[in-house]
Amino acid sequence: MELTRRDLLKGAAALGAAATVPLTAGGPAVAQTTQKKELVTAQAGDISKFDPHFSTSSNDIRVSFNLFDNLTSRHPDGKLHPGLATEWKLENQTTWRFKLRQGVKFHNGDAFTSADAKFSIERTYDPAAKTMVATALATIEKVEAPDPFTLVITTKKPDPLLPARLAFYGGQVVPKKYLESVGNDTFNAKPVGTGPVRFGSWVKDDKAVLEANPDYWGGKIEVDRWIMRPIPETAPRIAALLKGEVDVITQLPPDQGERVAGNATTRVAGALYAGLYVLGVNSKRPPLDNPLVKQALSLAIDREAIVKELWRGRGIVPSQPIAKGDNHFDASLPGLAYNPAEAKERLKKAGYKNEEIFIETTVAYVAQDKAMSEAIAAMWKDVGVNVKVEVIEYSVRAQKNREKSFKGVFWSDPTSTLGDPDGMMWRLLGPGGPQDYWRDAKFDELGNAARFSVDEKFRAGAYKEMTKIFLENLPWLPVIQPYEDYGLQKYVDFTPNPNQQFEVRRFNLKLRRA
Amino acid sequence: MRGFVPFLGHRLFRALIALWLVSTVVFVVMRLSGDPVPLLLPPDAPHSEIMRVRRDLGLDKPLPVQYVIFLSNLARGDFGRSIHFREPAFDVVRGYLAATLELGLTAFFLAALIAVPIGLFSAMRRNTLVDHAAMGLALIGQSAPTFFLGILFILLLSLKADLFPTSGRGDWRNLVLPALTLGAFTMASIARLTRSAVLEVLGADYIRTARAKGVSEMWVVAKHTLKNAAIPIVTITGLQFGTLLGGAVVTETVFSWPGIGRLAVQSIYNRDYAVVQCTVFLAALMFVVINFFVDLIYGVLDPRIRAG
Repeated sequence: MELTRRDLLKGAAALGAAATVPLTAGGPAVAQTTQKKELVTAQAGDISKFDPHFSTSSNDIRVSFNLFDNLTSRHPDGKLHPGLATEWKLENQTTWRFKLRQGVKFHNGDAFTSADAKFSIERTYDPAAKTMVATALATIEKVEAPDPFTLVITTKKPDPLLPARLAFYGGQVVPKKYLESVGNDTFNAKPVGTGPVRFGSWVKDDKAVLEANPDYWGGKIEVDRWIMRPIPETAPRIAALLKGEVDVITQLPPDQGERVAGNATTRVAGALYAGLYVLGVNSKRPPLDNPLVKQALSLAIDREAIVKELWRGRGIVPSQPIAKGDNHFDASLPGLAYNPAEAKERLKKAGYKNEEIFIETTVAYVAQDKAMSEAIAAMWKDVGVNVKVEVIEYSVRAQKNREKSFKGVFWSDPTSTLGDPDGMMWRLLGPGGPQDYWRDAKFDELGNAARFSVDEKFRAGAYKEMTKIFLENLPWLPVIQPYEDYGLQKYVDFTPNPNQQFEVRRFNLKLRRA
Repeated sequence: MRGFVPFLGHRLFRALIALWLVSTVVFVVMRLSGDPVPLLLPPDAPHSEIMRVRRDLGLDKPLPVQYVIFLSNLARGDFGRSIHFREPAFDVVRGYLAATLELGLTAFFLAALIAVPIGLFSAMRRNTLVDHAAMGLALIGQSAPTFFLGILFILLLSLKADLFPTSGRGDWRNLVLPALTLGAFTMASIARLTRSAVLEVLGADYIRTARAKGVSEMWVVAKHTLKNAAIPIVTITGLQFGTLLGGAVVTETVFSWPGIGRLAVQSIYNRDYAVVQCTVFLAALMFVVINFFVDLIYGVLDPRIRAG
């Protein structure tokens, strides 16, 4: 209440001030009074923490990647750009040298130096810090800061993806001096970074208010204030957009796109998701241990129909375990085939004896999961598979994921965290990875070699070969690479990021004035 | 007020038992329901990392040991720390209480102030068009699911008629739609119950006597009818009040209202044990307190109860 009143007073004062200007200046500044000073966005869930090293959830990183800068930055174009590091180079197989940006200040006025960068990286895997991103930068052996604007990172083995790792979660740079003096809890409650917005206030499940950082090295953002609101239900979230109460909404379901696009003042913007929606397979459980059965299941899925009917065309049919847009994506491969006759043939060849195959689905863990499960179950029944759909709750899924105890196939939305198959296929399917249900000696050898090679030509060959092995064995049944859609007011110029980051920096978010 | 102290002592003792039972059930059920750690870590976190975090949070200790720690902390008023927010659980819940009270009280008074007169009026004008219309509306209010009603209000009164904001907390305009949505069921229940309670009293001998004595109709209603019909109305109103404060989950979700119902449900999904325990404890406490006051009001309304 108090805040609203203060806002009103501020607004009134601003209006009053603006109204007096044209009188003295003669008029041309009138248009300026309509300039929007506030950006309001709505996402489906609230922030839980501001400390970037304690969360990897998409609701949190939409904000934390704007409160903080990383050394490197992955832009919506999918490429790596300079962040707090202006340039970097590989000195030898395991040593990277980063040149850091000078003259950058944290929101509390402290200067950013290599000591902060070193502290931030080491904090992620420091056992005493107890972070939730302890494995994000685990390839690092040591970090040195020979001078205030140089950082030298040595990796345990060659790591071609170190700059990419530094761009994603765990890589946000936090202020050493401030954090050490106030401790973790205060830092989480009153975060200080170098990013384009600084922390204003937060009322849980109501709104977070972030103020523009006027001295941001990348230029002050377009508005004075950014408000992030959680609106959990889809219908009210869309209503808030249509009514003009919010400027941008995330997680726009495909069947609601027409409503937003058909409205005179709003539009839809989408980014092809940097990842895939797949049915993970417990390949240890008969009959799913038989590649022929998995091939049959894959051939029985009419992906075109899923894309067209359930997703209203907002997605593409995958062709491989590498997301389109990633390094080493093979554009020459055709989309995964739909051939029910061949599916029946392979089931027969596999000696399939009507064993039950379970689809364990969540509801809205990944968009459309339950609807897709029902559609796929019907398709599988058509080729004679004894399929059963079981609905499980999100936290049960997390537990089964941890224990690797899925009964059959399950939804997963592997995100390509590094823009590279290493950060997706190998991260999840590799030995000891969270979806390690299937092993193949050649696949493992190639995956391991590609991870530790800085020779991109060699890596390209390795991933080509791994894709071939994957398509025969199908440890995942890739189903769709969807678009992640946002609803926007037409005056908002914004490009969504494929990996769920939400970029409000000046280069990516502008408000077009009437 | 003879016997008030033993009455109070007895109620307090029962309240403590109820709170202890509720806390214990919540403690056990939450821990049976699953492990919060996989929800905190990135999906590719290795097993060793999960074990490390479990140890840091004290979740590796045997359940009885965790229970003793929980009870001894609770006795000191310490509800533990939220693992989701990384803050003391009570501080988290406290942040939601104001919004819950704001919405719950508004819905409650809106419901009571509208429903009791409507029920009374319906009873006085039994079987007229007004009665049928009012009770028809009450039936709709009682049977329409909250999420349907909420979204209907948003579409009609906010998006089409542009009278109120679609969602969120702010000034009184933000309060109207969620309060109406939340209060609809209560309003309908109270109206229907008031009508039947009043009808029952209106048929009683003492009302006939009062009328025969020539007491004015106003006085018959205000003094003789309402007071005698009040006990069931107070009972349902008290119960509904507790529900309004603790059970507004759907309304809070539809209108993105930052109340404790929504916090509780999200915390269950997050397996944020401490926050769930704290919200349930406070909700149980509210019920106990409300029931206590309802009992006191009974005594004021009906001397027979006081004597018994």
